[in-house]
Amino acid sequence: MSGGLSRVARLREVPVLSALIVLLLLTAILNPAFRGGEGLKAILIESALIAFLAAGQANLIIMRHIDLSVSSTAGLVSFLIGNTSMNNMGISVPQSLMIAVAVGAAVGIVNGALVAYLKLPSLVVTIGTLYLVRGIFNYLAGGVTVTADALPGWVAAIGSGSILGVPDLFVIALILCVLMTIVQTSTRWGRDLYAIGSNPPAAARVGIPVAHREFAAFVLNGIIAGLAGMLLLFRFSFADATAGLGIELYVVAACVIGGVAIAGGVGTAMGALIGAVLLQAITFALGALGVSQFWQQAVAGALLVLAIAFDRIVALRSTQRINRLAEAPV
Amino acid sequence: MTSLTKKVLAAAAGAVVIAGLATAPAAQAAPKSGLKIAVIPKAVNIGYFKGWNDGAQKACKELKAAKCDYIGPTQATGPAQLKFINQAIQQKYNAIVLSAADQNALAPALKKAKAAGICVVTSDADVADTTTRAASVLPASAQRIGEAEVDWIAQEIGGKGKVAILSAAATAANQNAWIDFMKAYLPKKYPNIQLVGVYYGDDDATKSAQQYNQILTEHPDIAGIISPTTVGIRAAAQEKKSKGGTVAITGLGLPSEMKDYVLGGQVTKFGLWNPIDLGYVGTYAAAECASSGNKVPKSFKAGSKTYTQGANGVIFLGDPATFDKSNITKFAAIY
Amino acid sequence: MSRGAFRLSWDKSILLLLILLVLFGGMNNEYFATGDNVNFILGDISEIMLIAFPMALLIIVKEIDLSVASSLTLASALCGVTWQATGSIWVAVLAGIMTGVACGLLNGLLVTRLGLSSLAVTIGTLALYRGLCYVALGDTPIADFPTEFTDLGYTPIAGTFLPWVVVPMVVAGIVFWYVLHGTRFGRWLFAIGQGDEAAEFSGIPVLRVKLWLFILTGLMCGIAGIGYTVRFASSSPDGALGFELLVIAAVLFGGVAIAGGVGTIWGVIAAVLIWGFSQSYLQLIGWDANALVIVSGVLLLLSVTIPRLLGALRESVAQRTFRPKGTEGAPPPPGEGVAEHSPAGAGHDQGSHRG
Repeated sequence: MSGGLSRVARLREVPVLSALIVLLLLTAILNPAFRGGEGLKAILIESALIAFLAAGQANLIIMRHIDLSVSSTAGLVSFLIGNTSMNNMGISVPQSLMIAVAVGAAVGIVNGALVAYLKLPSLVVTIGTLYLVRGIFNYLAGGVTVTADALPGWVAAIGSGSILGVPDLFVIALILCVLMTIVQTSTRWGRDLYAIGSNPPAAARVGIPVAHREFAAFVLNGIIAGLAGMLLLFRFSFADATAGLGIELYVVAACVIGGVAIAGGVGTAMGALIGAVLLQAITFALGALGVSQFWQQAVAGALLVLAIAFDRIVALRSTQRINRLAEAPV
Repeated sequence: MTSLTKKVLAAAAGAVVIAGLATAPAAQAAPKSGLKIAVIPKAVNIGYFKGWNDGAQKACKELKAAKCDYIGPTQATGPAQLKFINQAIQQKYNAIVLSAADQNALAPALKKAKAAGICVVTSDADVADTTTRAASVLPASAQRIGEAEVDWIAQEIGGKGKVAILSAAATAANQNAWIDFMKAYLPKKYPNIQLVGVYYGDDDATKSAQQYNQILTEHPDIAGIISPTTVGIRAAAQEKKSKGGTVAITGLGLPSEMKDYVLGGQVTKFGLWNPIDLGYVGTYAAAECASSGNKVPKSFKAGSKTYTQGANGVIFLGDPATFDKSNITKFAAIY
Repeated sequence: MSRGAFRLSWDKSILLLLILLVLFGGMNNEYFATGDNVNFILGDISEIMLIAFPMALLIIVKEIDLSVASSLTLASALCGVTWQATGSIWVAVLAGIMTGVACGLLNGLLVTRLGLSSLAVTIGTLALYRGLCYVALGDTPIADFPTEFTDLGYTPIAGTFLPWVVVPMVVAGIVFWYVLHGTRFGRWLFAIGQGDEAAEFSGIPVLRVKLWLFILTGLMCGIAGIGYTVRFASSSPDGALGFELLVIAAVLFGGVAIAGGVGTIWGVIAAVLIWGFSQSYLQLIGWDANALVIVSGVLLLLSVTIPRLLGALRESVAQRTFRPKGTEGAPPPPGEGVAEHSPAGAGHDQGSHRG
C-alpha cells in the first residue's frame, strides 16, 4: 500500500519537474543573459518563502483543508522580530525563534481547534483569522518601518548567504520540504493524512484519530508560518505593515501546481516545492524572453491554468494505471 | 498671543504685496481657529505618511484646530480612501487634506465633499480633475523631479550605459508623469544613456525586490537604476547590499530608510522633498480655504513662509533635497 | 415542545442583528442613520452584494469562484477601452457585461468540462484576468467617461436618498431570491449541494447547472464592473483588489454553508448589509481602519462558531428534553435563542471541500 502511495507521489511530481527543466532550458537557449546562473539563483531565492510555507500547507490540502491565514501570521512575526530588535538594539536567534514559534502556534491552535474539534470549515475559519491577525498586526505596526540598520547582522547574513552557490533561504526551504516529504510518505502520522484526505469517514472508521491529526497539522502549519516570518525578514531585512500581504494564494497555487490536489489525498511537500520554483521560473522566464511587463501577468496566469489542467489530466491517467495495477492481482 | 499678531501683520503685508496681482480679499485675516480638519493619507501604514502627518499635526496645533484626525485606509487605493472621504463628509469636517492614491477614482466623492461645503486640498499627490479640489500642495513640477533624477544617475554612471526605471504601480500617476519627463529628457541631454525599460514594483517590497532581480537577469550589463518611489529604491538598495554588484541606484527615498545603504556604499546619492513640509503647508492651505469662503487665497502664509498658487491652484514647495554621506545621518533623524 | 414557538435560524438571527444594529447605531451616533450616509453605504456595498448573490448559489453547489474581483476589473477595463474606441457608452456597457460573461464561461468550462477543482482553476484565472486588465489598459487608466454616466455614481435617484446602484441590487435580489427559493432550478441547487451523485441519479444535469452558475457569476461581475466604473468614474487595472475574499466572507457570514446544500438569499442580503452598516458605524465612532479589519475577521469566525455551539447545545438539550434559559451568544431573541440548524460546517466530515 505504501509502495503504491509513494509511486503515485513520484508520478505526480515528474511532469512538473520536467516542465520546469524544459522552461529553464528554453529560456537559457533563447536568452544568453540567463545562462550565467544568476537568473536561476534569483528564482530560487524568490521561491524559497513560498516553498517553505507550501510544506505546511501541503499537509492540510492533502486532508482537504486549507489555511489562508499564513500570510498574516508570517507578516506579523516578521514585524514583531524586527520591532523587538529595533527597540532593544538587537535580538538573538533563540529569541526570534521563540517569537516565531509562539505566534505561529497560537494562530495554529485557534485554527486547529475551530476546524478539528468544532468541525468548522477551514476556508471560513482561516479567512477569518487572516483578517483578524492582519488587523492586529497592522494595529501594532501602524506606520512603523523596521529598516536594515535596526536588525542584527545574522539576519542579513542568512538572507544573502549561500551554500555551494545555493542561496541559504532555498536550502532552508529545501530541508523543510525534504523532511516533510519523509514524514508524509514514511511515517504513520503522514500516511494517516492521506487516508483522511482520500475518505474522511472511512479513515475515522479504521480508527485514525481524525480530529487529532487535523489539529496537529494546523498547529504545525501555524508554526511553519511563524518561521516563514523569519524567512521574510531574512529576505528583505525590512518589515512594515504590508509584510507578507497577499502571498497566501501563491502558496496554494504552488501546492496545486506541484501536484497537491485540492481534492485531497495526493501530493507531497517536495512536489509543492517544485511547484513554487516553477511559479517563479515562469515569471522570470517571461521577462528574460522579452515579454512586455503588461503581458507578463496575463501569460503567467494562463500558464497557471494550463498547469492545473495538465496536472489533472496526468493525474487521471496515473489513477487509471494504478487502478489497473491494483485490479491485476485480484 | 504674539505669534498670532505677528501672523496677522505678516499676512496683511503679504496681502499688500499681491493686492495688485489677484482678487484675494484685501484684509486677509489669519485662518479661523476651532476648525475640524481630516488628514487622509494614501494609507496609514506607510512610513512616509507619518512624516506627512507630523507636519499636518504641527500646523493644526498652530492653527488651534478643534480636530485634526489622521484617518485613512490600510491599502493605498482610491476606492479604499473613499470610505474616509465619506466619513469626513458625514461628520461635517471643515476641510480635508488628502494625498490621492488614485487620480481619477476619487472625483465623484470629492464633488460630493465640495457640494457639502468642505474644502479639499490635495497634498503630496494631486487628482486629475483639478476642479474637484481647492488647491494642491506639491513638491516640485513633474518635469523638475523627473529631470533631476536623470541628472543624478547620469552623474553616477558617467553619462553612458544602460538604465532601467523601477517604478511603483503601473498606474501611479505621480510616477508616470515623472517618467514621461525622464523619457523626453534622456535622449536630449544624455544621448549615450539607453533606457532599457520601466519595471513596476507596485510599491510592495516583495515585488520591488523581484523586479530588481528581473532587471539584473534581463540586463546583466545594466549601469544604473532610477527608482522614483521610496519603496522601490529601498528594495533595490537592500538587494544590492545582500547580493553585491555595481549597478548605480538613485531616485526618491526616505532618508531614515536609506541611511544604512548610503553609509554602506550601496547608494551614493538620492533625493526627496520633505514630507513634513507638504503636510504642514497643505494643512495651512486647507485652513485658509475653510476660513475664506471655500477658496484658498492666491497667496497665504504657513509658519514663517508665504506661498503663492500657480496655474491650476498648484503650490510647489521647491526642488527635492539631495542626500549623500555628508548629510544623511542628520536627515535620517528627521524623516 | 414549546420550543417551536420561536425557532431561530442563523439567517433569521442576522436579519435581527441588522435591525438592532441600525436602531442602536441611529440612536448613538447622529451621523449614522442619515439619508446621505445610507446612500454612501449602499453604494459602497453594491459590488459585493451583486456578486454575493451568484457566489451564494455557487457555494450551495459546493463550487467557488475566486476570480470575481479580477473579472469585475476586466469588465470595467473593457468597458473603458470600448468607450474610447467607439464613443458609445451603451456599446461600452454591453462590452463590459459581456466580458464578465466570458470570464464566467471560461471558468465554467474549465471546471465542468475538464473536471478541475474550482478553487484551483479560479486562483489561476484570478491571475489571468487581472493580467489581461494590464494588457487592455497598460499604465493609463481611462477616465474620460461622459459626465451623465459618471454622475450616476454620486447623484441619488431623484426625490430619494438612494443611489442608482440600488436598482440593479434590488432587481438582482428579487430575481435570485425567486430563482433559489421559488423554482425547480433552485431546488436542483440544494440537491446538488447535498451530493453530486445522488443529484445526477435523480436526473439533474449537474454539470450543465454548474456551467450556468459560473456564467451567471460572470454576468454579475460584469454588472458590478459597470457599477464600479460609474462609482469611481474610471477604469483602472488595479481596481477591487481583495474583493474576492470579502464577497466569500459575506456569503458565509450570511449562513451559506461552505459544505454546500444550505443557504438563503436574504441571509446573504442581511450579511452584506450588516458588514456595510457595522463598518460605517464603527468608523463614525472613531475606530481606525485596522480595527475594522479585525472586526471583519471576528464577525466571520462568530458566524460559524455561534451556530455550531448553539447546534451542539440544542442537541444536548434534545437529549435531555430540558429547556435551557437560552441566553448564550447570538442576538437575544425575546424567547429562547435556539438554532434551527447549524448551516456552516455541517458537512465537514462528509468531504466538505469540492473535488
